[in-house]
Amino acid sequence: MRIGIVCPYSFDAPGGVQIHIRDLAEMLISLGHEVSVLAPADEDTPVPDYLVSAGGAVPVRYNGSVARLSFGPVVAARAQRWLAAGDFDVVHIHEPITPSVGLIALRLAEAPVVATFHSSQLRSRAMQIAYPLVRPALERISARIAVSEDARRTVVEHLGGDAVVIPNGVYVDRFASATPTAGWTGTPEAPTIAFLGRLDEPRKGLQVLVSAIPAILERYPRARFLIAGRGDLDWAYSELGAHAGVLEALGGISDEEKASMLASVDLYVAPQTGGESFGIVLVEAMSAGACVVSSDLSAFRRVLDDGESGFLFTTSDPASLAETVCRALADPLERERRRAHASAVVGRYDWTQVTRQIIDVYAMVTAGEAAPSRSLLGRLLGGTP
Amino acid sequence: MSNAEVALVVIGVLAVVGVALWRGAQRLDRLHQRVIRSRATLDAQLVHRAEAAVELAESGLLDPASSVIVADAAWRAAVHAERLVGEEDESRHTTGSERGLVESELTHALRAALGEEEDQEALAADPRGGELLERLRHHTYRVQLARRFHNDAVTQIGHIRGTWLVRTFHLAGRAAMPQTFEMDDAVMILSPVTRP
Repeated sequence: MRIGIVCPYSFDAPGGVQIHIRDLAEMLISLGHEVSVLAPADEDTPVPDYLVSAGGAVPVRYNGSVARLSFGPVVAARAQRWLAAGDFDVVHIHEPITPSVGLIALRLAEAPVVATFHSSQLRSRAMQIAYPLVRPALERISARIAVSEDARRTVVEHLGGDAVVIPNGVYVDRFASATPTAGWTGTPEAPTIAFLGRLDEPRKGLQVLVSAIPAILERYPRARFLIAGRGDLDWAYSELGAHAGVLEALGGISDEEKASMLASVDLYVAPQTGGESFGIVLVEAMSAGACVVSSDLSAFRRVLDDGESGFLFTTSDPASLAETVCRALADPLERERRRAHASAVVGRYDWTQVTRQIIDVYAMVTAGEAAPSRSLLGRLLGGTP
Repeated sequence: MSNAEVALVVIGVLAVVGVALWRGAQRLDRLHQRVIRSRATLDAQLVHRAEAAVELAESGLLDPASSVIVADAAWRAAVHAERLVGEEDESRHTTGSERGLVESELTHALRAALGEEEDQEALAADPRGGELLERLRHHTYRVQLARRFHNDAVTQIGHIRGTWLVRTFHLAGRAAMPQTFEMDDAVMILSPVTRP
């Protein structure tokens, strides 16, 4: 199958959607499909050979954060050329309502269009403005995919109609086979607890974990906290004062280091406070065999099977977080049980499984192409569907 | 204003209205095409699912009573029920409600015959049984997808046909209002990843 994938966000700064598209494209190529990805990327950014640049991206404040998007006549012309040259059987557009090259490609595409909705921004102003404006373009989408039940609800609420839920994928084996790093493994008296994510982004919830640390130290005075991610940690040091030594800043880490860290630590804490529609990092932690303690956001709750695969605490509540961490640390058998459950179910997020479902969707929109069609005029003057 | 100016204004207004109508009609036409395609796809997927069910029933791996019931339900769904597409007499395929009932019966028969996850483990362990079960799972999933996509398209037609432009100018012509396809399509089938 010839598949064209469109990414609205720039490959200059990889984020969740870009990584999802990269992994999906590589999986589809390995299965023998012809894949081309159209995405914003600067001329000097190193890109994989299946990627076609839609032009440079402009930083735009959109939907609460600054995104690097591309639009304008040059981008439209490039999208047109890409579609013509690719002669795709199916065009798969991610985040189609983001005002970027995806929305442009949607207007131009002649092939059947599949769209994936990643975000679950309920009632955001940007969405409320965007949906009516782009509705005619969205009608061109033959099949809608949402990455989670929450993302699906957003689509249904704003657009009507429906979407099928296909989760984000993870290469489970890459995490499952990661080797622990000696310096990151804990002992019963000095357990290690990991955090992953941008340090100065409040939605990632590091401040909730930091506020919970004093209470955890009362029970486990020698606990160590591994903090991985880019950003400034000075505020956390000053908040902890004398306890600041328990934080070990790892900075930005590579994919291999991330997998190794998750395989090493006693607990992985995900204190996100909102804005998460899926929770890919939880699945990565589950794949690596980490015991997960996460906030009870509905997306996380679903990934953790309502707590069967990990421990849930009340979102944004440091006292609840501290209590849950201590409870998990005190009960190694229960930890082991939930980890085993996580390993048993995590296969449903593996790329082999997820890609199969996505190919099923492609098959559903291309199968009907052979159906006979009547001319527009004939149908208007007396046609029946 | 001279006559020529009036004429220009009138021509301008007519052109704008004309373009709006043309675009509305195009939009509607695209959606109707989408519904035709998705309905054909759904029909084909339902037949595939019934075929997979018949094969499982004929394999001798189910108990005899289940085999007969599944085969009978699948036979009625695949052969005797109304088609969703291709009928010359369109009154026979506008609602699909009879087909929906028959397909739901097949779903119920499969649910009863296959039982819970642990009941399917023995069947999945058999090489031939595992293959047939996987085939049925595959086609059941595709039916669920095809039905969602079809109903999604129908919902959107309903939305656009409710707008004043389409209603006032009868842009939908005599095209019948497409109907969503309702059926129970939920069957739990052990998938290779959850298989222990």
